[in-house]
Order: sequence, then structure tokens, then C-alpha cells
Amino acid sequence: MIMILPFFTALIAVGLAWRGQRGLAIGGWLLTLIIFVAWMKFHMTDPLNISL
Amino acid sequence: MQSNFGITPGAQAPLSTLFNQLALLAVCGSLVEAFFYQFAFNEIPCPLCLLQRAAMILVGIALVLNLKFGASAVHYAMILVSALVGGATSMRQGLLHIAPGDPGYGSTLLGLHFYTWGFVFFVGMILFCAVMLCVDRNRMAFTRPLGLGIVSSAIIGLFLVLIAANSVSTVLECGVGPCPDNPTAYLFKF
Repeated sequence: MIMILPFFTALIAVGLAWRGQRGLAIGGWLLTLIIFVAWMKFHMTDPLNISL
Repeated sequence: MQSNFGITPGAQAPLSTLFNQLALLAVCGSLVEAFFYQFAFNEIPCPLCLLQRAAMILVGIALVLNLKFGASAVHYAMILVSALVGGATSMRQGLLHIAPGDPGYGSTLLGLHFYTWGFVFFVGMILFCAVMLCVDRNRMAFTRPLGLGIVSSAIIGLFLVLIAANSVSTVLECGVGPCPDNPTAYLFKF
């Protein structure tokens, strides 16, 4: 998992919003969210240490 | 009698702009504070910490869209989704350290760990949306670019710099692979 990826796509999304490309900016946000969720699955699916 | 039920698309209320600017400033302030602890106290962010930063940036993207294109239900929905995934990440990290005797991860601020503050932030953003959906109820669905004032431009510029800085910091910490669960040193020294 490339950890920089969501920051990189977010940077592109904000740049597109700044330039007035709303649809593409929302697409960039969505791509960032998808990467974020994949990242969540990678880092957040270990068992917690609170099970009885 | 108004034919459009009082809806005035295309107008950006000063109050809406102000609140969105303040919310984006809150995002920037949180990222700056995280950087301050990272570099001043050498607290290297864990993967879940980086995820929470990314979720704050997701919130910020929607706020930028509100400032640039005017308030929209779509933008507020984006904030809600971002705050939900960010809050889930914060809660997960809190649960990792909930067992008795666990000192938690990293420093505290006013007695709370940063992942707890993260959860407060994301819940605050959900409440922000609840308020703003009332404030902007008659000004939705405008999707043409608006002129950005100096203040909005400055805040968005700061936000862009912080995202770029996070990108560089993440590469320094993790390279282009996965970050270790409990990082103790940067992969690349500077």
C-alpha cells in the first residue's frame, strides 16, 4: 500500500477545485476516499486486544 | 408571490462563506498542530494517525468546493462521509488503547490523546454540517465558480501547502511502501 497516495490525490483534487474544475475535483475526492477505505482495511482489521 | 419558493441559487451568503472559512481554518490548524508535535517533539505519526490526517484533508476538499463554487448539498454530503470514516478511524485507535494500564499512543493535549481530539473534530464536523444545511437551505445547487476573496485564497493556499507537506512527510517516514504500525524513525533522514 502506497501511503502517500491519498495525500497525492487530495492535492490534485484541491488543485482542480482551485482551477474551477468542480466535477474533476469531486472525482479526485472520490478517488481519495476509495484509497482511504482500502487503507483502512489494510490497517484496521487486526483483532482488538479487548476480546474476552 | 415568489415562483422559486425563496430559493436564490448563485448567491453565496456572507455567513456561509465565513463559517466555511472558519471550518477550513480548523482543518489547517489541526494539521499544523499535528506537524508541530511531529517535528518539535519527534512524535512520528502512526498509520492510523496518518489516516486521520487524510480524513481531515477529505473534509477540507469539500470545504474548498463550498468556498469556490458556493454551498451545495453534495459538498456537505462529502463532509459527512469524510467525517464518518475519519471518526471511525479515531474510534478504532481509541479502542486499541482502551485496555486498563495502556498509556495510549503519543502525547496528550489538555488531558486527551490526539486520536480522541480527532474524534471530537469529526463529530464537530458532522454538527457543522447540521448547522450549515440550515444556514444554506435556500442557496444550494450552484455549481459555477465564484470569485475567491483574499481571505479564502489565503486559507486554501495554506491548505494546499499543508497537503503537500504531508505528502513529503509521509514519503520521508514510509517511502513508497506501507508504514510500520509503531514507527520509531524516519526511513529517510533529513
